[in-house]
Amino acid sequence: MPSVEPNRLPATTLLQLIHDGELTAEAVVESCLARIAERDPVVRAWSHLASEEALARARELDKSGRKNLLHGVPFGLKDIFDTADMPTTYGSPIYVGCRPAADASAGALPRAAGGILLGKTVTTEFANRHPGPTTNPHDPNFSPGGSSSGSAAAVADFMVPLAIGTQTGGSVIRPAAYCGVVGFKPSFGLFPPAGMRINTETLDTVGIMARSVYDIALFRAAMTAIPHEPPAMPETTPRLGLCRGPHWDDAQPEGRAVLEAAADRLAAAGAGIREAELPPECAEADEVQRTLGSFEGLRNHMPELYRHEALLSLELREEKIAQGRRLSLDEFRRGCRNAERARAAAQVWAAGFDAILTLPAPGQAPRGLASTGSAVFNAVWTQLWMPCLTLPAGKGPNDLPVGIQLVGRRQGDARLLEVGLWVESRLDQESRP
Amino acid sequence: MSGAERLTAGEAAVRLSAGTLTAERLVRDCLKRAQARAEVRAWAWLDPEQALAQARAVDRDGRPGLLKGVPVGVKDVIDTVDMPTQHGSPIYRGHRPFADAACVALIRAAGGVILGKTVTTEFANRHPRETVHPHNPQHTPGGSSSGSAAAVADFQVPVGLGTQTGGSTIRPAAFCGVIGYKPSFGEFSRVGIKMQCHNLDTLGVICRSLEDVALMRGVLLAQDPHPVDRRSAAPRIGFCRTPAWDHADPDTQALLERTASRLAAAGATMRDVAVTPNDILDHHRRIFQFEAARNYAYEYEMHGDKLSAALRDGLLTAGRTLPLSAYVDAIETAEAFRCNLDDLFCELDVLLAPSAVGEAPEGLASTGDARFNAIWTLAWTPCVTLPAGTGRKGLPLGIQLVGPRFRDEALLDSAAWVEARLQ
Repeated sequence: MPSVEPNRLPATTLLQLIHDGELTAEAVVESCLARIAERDPVVRAWSHLASEEALARARELDKSGRKNLLHGVPFGLKDIFDTADMPTTYGSPIYVGCRPAADASAGALPRAAGGILLGKTVTTEFANRHPGPTTNPHDPNFSPGGSSSGSAAAVADFMVPLAIGTQTGGSVIRPAAYCGVVGFKPSFGLFPPAGMRINTETLDTVGIMARSVYDIALFRAAMTAIPHEPPAMPETTPRLGLCRGPHWDDAQPEGRAVLEAAADRLAAAGAGIREAELPPECAEADEVQRTLGSFEGLRNHMPELYRHEALLSLELREEKIAQGRRLSLDEFRRGCRNAERARAAAQVWAAGFDAILTLPAPGQAPRGLASTGSAVFNAVWTQLWMPCLTLPAGKGPNDLPVGIQLVGRRQGDARLLEVGLWVESRLDQESRP
Repeated sequence: MSGAERLTAGEAAVRLSAGTLTAERLVRDCLKRAQARAEVRAWAWLDPEQALAQARAVDRDGRPGLLKGVPVGVKDVIDTVDMPTQHGSPIYRGHRPFADAACVALIRAAGGVILGKTVTTEFANRHPRETVHPHNPQHTPGGSSSGSAAAVADFQVPVGLGTQTGGSTIRPAAFCGVIGYKPSFGEFSRVGIKMQCHNLDTLGVICRSLEDVALMRGVLLAQDPHPVDRRSAAPRIGFCRTPAWDHADPDTQALLERTASRLAAAGATMRDVAVTPNDILDHHRRIFQFEAARNYAYEYEMHGDKLSAALRDGLLTAGRTLPLSAYVDAIETAEAFRCNLDDLFCELDVLLAPSAVGEAPEGLASTGDARFNAIWTLAWTPCVTLPAGTGRKGLPLGIQLVGPRFRDEALLDSAAWVEARLQ
């Protein structure tokens, strides 16, 4: 038996121990469930927990000889995804009692690979802003971020090694950074969206969270149903573009300090660091983001508006949906075209770097649970459909995690994870006493 | 003796607003036709009492609505809260969704009546179901939106919803001799529509007039409709035989050549255009396989024994073995292809192309070949098919018009110009 409790181990280690017969899937699930029982009354990461079913599945896997990619590894699934055997609420009271007929692909693929779904993690209302009950696992007086609040908190709190989120603005990267875990949003469309409740189709991206880049790479293979090739440490030091971005003035002091310090440390370790300003075609990204989200939001929420309008949160109705009513089709079309031009320009721009180094959030998590924080440091990358990776890189004034974000060229996901591995190792070495 | 079921949606809406027709009467006439013609087997779910109850509720409710009292058939891959949604698969037998799809809610909000669910092939794919061609039951109606095309052609309902991933709206509409319309990708909400390929799936409309296309655009976009301009100037047309031209039947080739000449003679600017790359259909196929294999993960992993062999082995297993790099290459090629088309449309209003290989094939085993549609599904461009005569077996043939992306209104105007000169 390992000396560390199984719930604290990364997925790649769990797999090795299970493979070597040192650990059973049942023991792993028991360990995660014990942690959840102890901590979830405060963290409140889970909207539904399927303890008995998970244990039964673990025992079944322990008996079977077949060892798949995620054999016996527990994971959490944001409650914006359908599950055939668990309630699915999309964070809305309208969907209390909803049991879909099928698992979303984001649940079905890891399950088919031997992963054990422990339950559903808390999402904000329809993956928008209205928060759920989850608290930051480092301090319950602070937000975990959103909209993938429960997934980020559960991974950070050692309740589960892997979890799935979605990002339309900044809903994977930001909560991962606030909770101090590794978050990964792939290039648009690479993880299958079937069974995910749509927020904004031109932006919605399925993403994942873990506590190491190796685990992200493993989980990525399962989520894409492709063969797993662990990322290799780059043999040459990467060329990084330091992009403070148009919202640098909105960043908190600790956010700026951690990014500058990380750039210095990586430069000292041999990385080439150049200043990188976004191409001018991206100048209207914030406005385009609002246009796409609001235009689609009104139409996408028509099932709820037609039958249950009063059960939608006031902020959803008065902000996104009200704005959607004011927008014309031509404004939506111009927004789509604007985003396409920005993507084409960014693809040329990003070719000059192995990755962009930037902020994943303004700084540490905001105090209180009313707001899950600002997505201004994420929206442009979501719209550009570029792969994003956040890594923990420091602490804020309340001893809360502060991260950095690496952004790759579109479809350069595997390369981004290699760069991430290098950056992760250099940041780790430096932060150890 | 024909009744209100022969009206287009727009014609019915005028009478309904004027009070010269009630929703109950219209729905009753459509139901009567559907019952008299049950052998077409267009419906996966049709409950007359449920439809009539909706119609009476609309008649009682004084609120105006674009579609007030007009019945619509909904393809059975689209969620309905009050009717089963079975995706043409035994896996979903009796399944009742928790909520309506966005398009269904938009129709209800506009005062429309959901008449029933129309037959789809298995998961909007190839494996056919029971619907027959309304003009000749020995022939397929096309697919995957088989029931919507057959029901609209047979005057059982004025409007049907379809979806298209390869050629599933345009092809059955052409086979059945009605109008089929696929909008610019990204305009119509897909909430509550079974996801097959996120880069391809497009909600479409099948109906009997271009005005109804414009009306349904208004409904599905929650916008004031943009009326079809029937006095627009002669369009600049690109005659696009496509890389699949050699697969077209002689009937179809002759129809297209004849149509191009006639439209040129009527004043359209006509020139031949080619689309590149030539192997664009291979890229469509790769995206189709790769994405379907992952979006149908639950069905493939948990209910593989209930899938047709064609879907399971032909599409999904093939998609699982396709390398990620081949998929990414197809995505990038598709983007370049869309840019090429944007350039092409700087000098053209519309492309003229075949709607299908030919007439609806004999037998029900195959719903036909999608190669003349898959190109434009991948292109994300708006498409409309217009009925344009019959082939050797007396079954309908169509011509397809393709417009620039996000200029759907202009495409409909050009289509009206063309339609007036086909007679």
